[in-house]
Amino acid sequence: MAPAVLEFRDVAKRFSTVNAVDGVSFSILPGEIFTLLGPSGCGKTTTLRLAAGLEEPDAGEISINGVIAAAPERGLFLSPEKRRLGMVFQSYAIWPHLTVFENVAFPLRVRRESSEMIRQRVSRALDVVGLGGLSERGATQLSGGQQQRVALARALVYEPALLLLDEPLSNLDAKLREQMRFELRGLQRKLELTILYVTHDQTEAITLSDRIAVVNRGRFEQVGAPEEVYEKPATSFVGHFLGRMITLEGTLKRTGGGAWVQLAGGARIAIALSELDSLRDGAAVRLSARPEDIAILPAAELGKNQIDGVVEQVDYLGDRFEYHVRAGGALLVLSAPKRDRYSSGAKIRLSLEPSCLSVRPR
Amino acid sequence: MLLFFAVVMGLPLLFLVAGSFNLSLPGKEAVYGLDNWLHAFSDRATMDALWMSFLLSVVRLVPAMMIAVVFSWLIARTDMPGGNAIEFFCWLAFFIPDFPLTLAWILLLDPNYGFLNMVARHLPFVDGPLFNPYSFWGIVWVHTSAGGIWFKVILLTPLFRRLGAAFEEAARVAGADTLAMLRRVTLPLLAPMILAVAVLSFIRGLQSFNTELLLGTPAGIYVYSTRIYDYIRREPASYGEATALGSIFIVVLGVLLLCYWRFLSGNRKFTAVTGQGYSVARVKLGKWRLVALAGCLFYITVMTALPLVFLIIGSFMRRYGFFNITSPFTLTHWQNLLSDPIFLVALENSLIIGAITTAGGILLYSTVAYLLVSRRAVVAPVLEGFCWLPHVLPGILLGLGILWLFLATPLRYFFYGTVWGIALALMLSDSPVTTQAFRAGFLQLGADLEEAARVTGASWWYTYRKILLPLLAPIAGAVGLMNFGGALTSISTPVLLYSHQSRPLAILLLEYSVTGELERGAALGLLITAIICLMMLAGRKLGLKLSGLQ
Repeated sequence: MAPAVLEFRDVAKRFSTVNAVDGVSFSILPGEIFTLLGPSGCGKTTTLRLAAGLEEPDAGEISINGVIAAAPERGLFLSPEKRRLGMVFQSYAIWPHLTVFENVAFPLRVRRESSEMIRQRVSRALDVVGLGGLSERGATQLSGGQQQRVALARALVYEPALLLLDEPLSNLDAKLREQMRFELRGLQRKLELTILYVTHDQTEAITLSDRIAVVNRGRFEQVGAPEEVYEKPATSFVGHFLGRMITLEGTLKRTGGGAWVQLAGGARIAIALSELDSLRDGAAVRLSARPEDIAILPAAELGKNQIDGVVEQVDYLGDRFEYHVRAGGALLVLSAPKRDRYSSGAKIRLSLEPSCLSVRPR
Repeated sequence: MLLFFAVVMGLPLLFLVAGSFNLSLPGKEAVYGLDNWLHAFSDRATMDALWMSFLLSVVRLVPAMMIAVVFSWLIARTDMPGGNAIEFFCWLAFFIPDFPLTLAWILLLDPNYGFLNMVARHLPFVDGPLFNPYSFWGIVWVHTSAGGIWFKVILLTPLFRRLGAAFEEAARVAGADTLAMLRRVTLPLLAPMILAVAVLSFIRGLQSFNTELLLGTPAGIYVYSTRIYDYIRREPASYGEATALGSIFIVVLGVLLLCYWRFLSGNRKFTAVTGQGYSVARVKLGKWRLVALAGCLFYITVMTALPLVFLIIGSFMRRYGFFNITSPFTLTHWQNLLSDPIFLVALENSLIIGAITTAGGILLYSTVAYLLVSRRAVVAPVLEGFCWLPHVLPGILLGLGILWLFLATPLRYFFYGTVWGIALALMLSDSPVTTQAFRAGFLQLGADLEEAARVTGASWWYTYRKILLPLLAPIAGAVGLMNFGGALTSISTPVLLYSHQSRPLAILLLEYSVTGELERGAALGLLITAIICLMMLAGRKLGLKLSGLQ
């Protein structure tokens, strides 16, 4: 197996009394997009800056392509300019006194490349990001999307071992963000880039990443492929951070053959056994699921794993309806496609698939 | 590094206060005692001078603030025609040095040969001079025409502009007419900031020296700064009393500053009044727009254009005020001035002092600002406040403190009476504004631009040269221009520090004026004014931001 492009071993960083990064370990493999996802202030940007060498860790070890970049216990620290990285800042950090060409050429000028070489590589980089004709533009005359592309070209131009992207899309409007996301993924595949990506946007993380690390208070709550993190959240923080969760409270019942949860209203919901590792019979539990996994059906005889409920409020969202449903002793917010229509006060059934449910102790 | 900076700033002050307890002359063996303080407090003249400083500063503040508020509001918030041109003029007038302007008013108002007095003599019921500039009200009048008022307009206009139209429009919709809106919404909203500008102006007003020296001394009106000058220039010089007086003033100033900071920090909620997505719709003045314009133009003409025109005329007259003699006009004064070897030496001195002050200031304070920004967590606000002291410390006190420093230490061999000593003093007085300008620049740039360069592989030094320096060039240019102009016109700071070899232009101007060579003084004053105005205009052409720094 190829060595990791970036590896963190028990890295920690404190700012006065706050543990910004609290003993984090991970490694990024070549050609992978590894995303740090979390709310603002969770330490994801600090992690990225540690990788870049813009912050020095207090403990642990960081290595890039097998070379130690920071190891405070041994007094080792490689300054940012020696790490051969590319970085796109949230603010893009396009130098306003230089043209587009000079901005992109900067990393090559630093490395004293010949002017012929610089010309070729800058124009190639600008072509790659789709800014072919704009090289003589002043950096301040660019739109947000164009600035973003310049920043990307500047980071790519000297073919760094690792690309660090710090919320690169968050300053763009929604349409442009979607387009850039798509282009970025294409570019990454074409150039086989290795990327450490930081974002607080779950859609961005899920659509772009090969692996996601959900960060909370300086720690990794869960690391895994997007589907795994979304479908099988390891903690309730992960579940709630990646989209909405609905929860129902009840008591766990288990017999020799199976297990179910007794809800407040008396309904029984069967659950998959693998969820039950250490929970005992009679334990107070919380049942959670993604709202889109719960089907709303017209009132009729209750089938297996179905509970009845009443629609209390209906909101029209354009592309779908959102229902506030009283069921199982809780008020659940669910959405449903437009083809089914229930009015306020209607009696309905909810169907819960055992494979989509997770159970945690209360 | 920052500690060193604080020490350098504090040293002149320390020597000043220590010197006030020293009974022997500076440079001699020190004998400590309280006699100087006892003298200072028992001498009526000393306390009178302090009292006069406050009285003058307060009295002239009132009309100046009212006029400045009206100007700013008209420029920023109404549809008065020519608002931009008037704002530009206020900006330019701010740079006109006050000494030539005072000279100009003397030429206009002097009881014996003043032009206005001679015109007034032809009016009925007037015998004897109508105006007398050598008086309390003369000083107030001249100050009302000089930079102080434009300083306030420059500070207030952006405040009025930022207020945004939404508040005023809301008042309109609620049924208020223009006056009610001004009285109930605009002014109360801005009151804390207007008050802050007033207090700052008051403190700066206490630094005033030139006008009081020219107009007050002949009438026996002394403020503390001219009294200090008097103590030191008399034979034998009374360093002790001068220093005790200076020390009292520093205590008073300290109290005032403390109140000012308290006041500013207690009013954060008002400073938050900035228009988020504001509209720039202006108040419609209707038929009053032309009246407003005429008022502004009238004020500008009388207070600035008129004295400057007569300063020009004065520099070309054989004997000022005597229009009836044969061939009253002459080029002699200009010829004398330009061929005077003393003038050439003074010009050279001024240029050297200006160059040292500017270059040294930019290098030193950009470094200090960088440290302040990059280690902002470590820097105590106390230290930052300390760095502001030289800004409000009157030039004469700074000069006195530095004089003690030079005389009491081996620094005298290199600095005493040399252009280097004067440049050092001026550099110290430039420190707060220059540091803050660079600090704001660094903060505005943000760390990203620098870090982006580091990550792409540039060393710190390469980043500094290729990224930071070019980006800060406009700030360095603006600050440099202001400091150079300041070095050229400052009188109160070098007045205790110069010698015959190191006399700068501004001091030569002072000497011409007090020895009665007003016509040659007028020529030199005009020359300095012209240099300053051309410099500032050139700077503006280059796109430098030359206001908002103060």
